[in-house]
Amino acid sequence: MTHELETLSDDERLAREAIRDLPVPVATPAYRAALKRAFVSGHLTAPPRAASRPGWFAWPRGWPGWAALAGSAALLLIVIQGANRGPRWQVTSIAGQGVAIVDGLPVPMNHLDEMRKRVGAGARLRVPPGCQVELMSPGHMIVEVMGGTDATVPGVPGRWFWRTVEGEVNAGELRITTGSAFHGARLAIATPSAQIEVTGTTLAVICEPEGTCVCVFDGVVRVGPKAGAMESVEHGKRRYVFNDGRDPESASIRDAELEPLGELEDRRGEMMEGREAK
Amino acid sequence: MTSTPGETHQPPSSVHDLGREPEPPSSASAPGAETAPGPGEARRLTREELERVKARDPEALAALFEVHFDRIYGLIHRLLGERSLAEDVTQEVFYKVQRAAHRIDPARDPGAWLVSIAYNACRDVWRSSAHRMGRRSGSIDADPVLSSRLEARDGNPADQFEAEERRRLVVEAISRLPDPLRSAIVLHDYAGLSHQEIAAMTGTEHAAARKRYSRALVQLGASLKESLR
Repeated sequence: MTHELETLSDDERLAREAIRDLPVPVATPAYRAALKRAFVSGHLTAPPRAASRPGWFAWPRGWPGWAALAGSAALLLIVIQGANRGPRWQVTSIAGQGVAIVDGLPVPMNHLDEMRKRVGAGARLRVPPGCQVELMSPGHMIVEVMGGTDATVPGVPGRWFWRTVEGEVNAGELRITTGSAFHGARLAIATPSAQIEVTGTTLAVICEPEGTCVCVFDGVVRVGPKAGAMESVEHGKRRYVFNDGRDPESASIRDAELEPLGELEDRRGEMMEGREAK
Repeated sequence: MTSTPGETHQPPSSVHDLGREPEPPSSASAPGAETAPGPGEARRLTREELERVKARDPEALAALFEVHFDRIYGLIHRLLGERSLAEDVTQEVFYKVQRAAHRIDPARDPGAWLVSIAYNACRDVWRSSAHRMGRRSGSIDADPVLSSRLEARDGNPADQFEAEERRRLVVEAISRLPDPLRSAIVLHDYAGLSHQEIAAMTGTEHAAARKRYSRALVQLGASLKESLR
């Protein structure tokens, strides 16, 4: 073999030992249990994430003109992508004192400019307890990130295509309302225990130690455990997906969410559609 | 590694075909061939259990899941470097296994077949435009279970910190490798596959697979040289 131990250089030996010393990645018990249950019952579905699907085009091997074609295609793609891009996220308000963490970097809550510069689609945002950050993509969505939340800001749907966007909530609460430009788009939110599919509505996603609670104020949201079947949750209802793999439970929307979600929906009219708040 | 388990194994010939799922293991395609278990694979299913997997018996499916899940998830996590993506791809792998269960040959261990599906699914992710645009390096911090396990370990906090830092640097260095080189290292040193098996799985020659592994080790060694000393 080329790499018998005695022929390895010190650097290569160091690299090999370092790899073999790595701990084995372990799945979360909730995910493992949910996947096993779905697999054994025969009800496992394909994951929704677009990234896991194959690309629609692969370069043929050894094709001589690939560089020129790739350059033209890239240029065209940049132009089309620029035109298709929806309005960027704006930080519209910040409340509370403390230090947020954006993509691993501390940003004081009172530094609005710094926050505006760093918070965008795909940013991982941790808001300190007792604080709140409000984001808006004009016409598309308003998102309130509550204190104690650790979340990944979703992308903004494209104007004509790439209209599926994804976000994550690892802990805490997001309140979301969608505007008229969101029509036809889809927002997928993942939490440690649940997957949520939003196609136009006002809702809260509350990620707690026991599980994920989805409160729907307006419209319909599809909610299900990871790797499990999705079910529709209508306005005025909530659905709780447990971390320990218990069957999800449905009930009326939490009283505590009614008022803030109602206010958020009112603000949507005011902020995104130019109407006066009720 | 002076000898590699499973050096003589011949995975299904269609493994490297683009856009196709690998066929379940078949005794006709490689008579008597076996794959040595990789890390975390404690036992193999018996022929009788595999017969019941084929018939989609829930108890046998549960046994198949228990035997192979940790290895497959670990492999995918190492290849992709991101927990939530690894969860989705692992789900996709078991979804494909569920669909093809009736075609399993009970005479052969399905371990290599599962690894092939996992590798092909990861390759699809690397090819997807969404992944290329949003590629992020993996970190131990992205794995809550691993993080909590590291935090909970007894011993000198300074040593623990140093060990954690060392692991983080290694994981980052692996994630920075180009996809083909990362595959070569992870499949050989982590999943325990032979160069022969990797060559069949990735659609290259045996010598090319070795060469690629060699280049990966050199590149990783150089990257870690300063940071680990």
